[in-house]
Amino acid sequence: MADFLLQPLSEDFFLRALAGVLLAGSACACLGVYVVLRRMAFVSTALTHSILPGVVAAVMLGVSPYLGALGAALLTAGGAAWLASRREVSEDSAIGVMLSVMLAAGVALMMQTGAWRDFGGLLFGSVVSIGPEDLAAIGATSVVLLLSLRALHKELELASFDPEYAALLGARPALLRAALLVLVALGAVSCVRLLGALLTTALLVMPAATGVLLGRSVAGAMGWAVACAAGGGAAGLLLSYHVDASVPSGAGIVLGCAVPYLAARLIVRRA
Amino acid sequence: MNAAGRWIGQLSGMALRLLPTLPYARPAPEDSAAPVVEARELGASARPGSPAAFSGVSFTVRRGTRVALTGPNGSGKSTLLRVLAGLAPATRGEIAVLGARPRTGRPKVAFLSQRPDFTAPFPMSLRRLVRTGTYAHHGWFEECHHGDEAVDRALAMMGLSELAERQVHTLSGGQLQRALLARAAVQGAELLLLDEPYAALDDASRSLVDAHLFSPDAAFTVLMATHETTGLPRFNQVLELGRDGLSVRDGKEAHGG
Repeated sequence: MADFLLQPLSEDFFLRALAGVLLAGSACACLGVYVVLRRMAFVSTALTHSILPGVVAAVMLGVSPYLGALGAALLTAGGAAWLASRREVSEDSAIGVMLSVMLAAGVALMMQTGAWRDFGGLLFGSVVSIGPEDLAAIGATSVVLLLSLRALHKELELASFDPEYAALLGARPALLRAALLVLVALGAVSCVRLLGALLTTALLVMPAATGVLLGRSVAGAMGWAVACAAGGGAAGLLLSYHVDASVPSGAGIVLGCAVPYLAARLIVRRA
Repeated sequence: MNAAGRWIGQLSGMALRLLPTLPYARPAPEDSAAPVVEARELGASARPGSPAAFSGVSFTVRRGTRVALTGPNGSGKSTLLRVLAGLAPATRGEIAVLGARPRTGRPKVAFLSQRPDFTAPFPMSLRRLVRTGTYAHHGWFEECHHGDEAVDRALAMMGLSELAERQVHTLSGGQLQRALLARAAVQGAELLLLDEPYAALDDASRSLVDAHLFSPDAAFTVLMATHETTGLPRFNQVLELGRDGLSVRDGKEAHGG
């Protein structure tokens, strides 16, 4: 039993993967609480999927894939906001259009490069192959995210709960929404190496959905969400370490986070 | 977990103190001798681009008075209140609220909309909701560090002390309405703009709300949209919005006529 835990912990690549998952998982869990409470799961899915062309283009141009991912996510957020600025266009369909366009552009770019080296890693992440410089990027993004959420906590909470009162006080709910989209783009960037373009949305939505079921305040929900992301992420990593090739680490993390969500869903009875 | 939460809160609070505090409100020259509301030939529409909800409306609300705003559905009562709160623009005419053009970010103006909808589950206690009223006196990046006594007083005044830890989405319509009035009291508003505050209230809630709004030593001014007819003599003034504009009457006359 001790070996079950100690053996992976003695390997550098596993420790780096664990640190990455704990850092990005905590930041995305806290951010995700707002994503879930404001029903922004679709837009966050769009932002995380749309980093695909950004990463491919960055690798082709020889710049940092993190910058490419951030640029693509911000382009999607800005594009959707611009498309939806006419009253005839619903925000929902604007996001749907941007999501499809960016995914298609990503696939087209990947085909341009001929044989893409790490197709699976780009789509589903390859957490066990992250290096020290990846860990530094993940850590920096996570710290920026957590500090921003802390600095804007009371404003984001009020604007999510009662946007009209926030507007009345002069707390600019539209500006806060835009700030939140930028933070979601940062969150997507922090997870891109861990979970890839297609699975990143899981870390934004699943732990936070668990936290919202269990918490009695926004801060409480964030606490539960972090616990769920850390526990689920670590369990998922261990699972994929021990059963090796049959469960990729990204999939293991997502499945690990699903367990506490299902448990919370079964236990909690709302008044 | 609570201890860990407090520890994280304290640690990150230290980082937070490095940021400058920016008030939400932009300072405006306020004239304390001016009437609370002064409208001349005012017009506005419910949504940008839609036809005018009302136009050519002129009235004055004096400090410390209780004013009823009546009229049939669709006569523009809600739009008028939103204009005064700074949430909707006036399309024509002149308007001054507490001596300045209406805009958001003024702690002295409180607004309660007609059907506040907080039925979706949101992890927030009633006490926390009332406490958001103190944000008017805080600023961006600032921790909420004062106002506990004011929150307790307001909860007690509205008979909500025992419900303070209840989650907001489990409250009834009347309890929620009282909570929002408690928040306006915590905010310390001088002008209360209320859109049909009695709509969801039973008799017990109603008498609590009345005791607060019509208290003889209250320093605030009340302008409320209402459909009631029997209670009108309590008001100093009744503004009736109709198809041909606004008629202004004394509360007692309005009851008789």
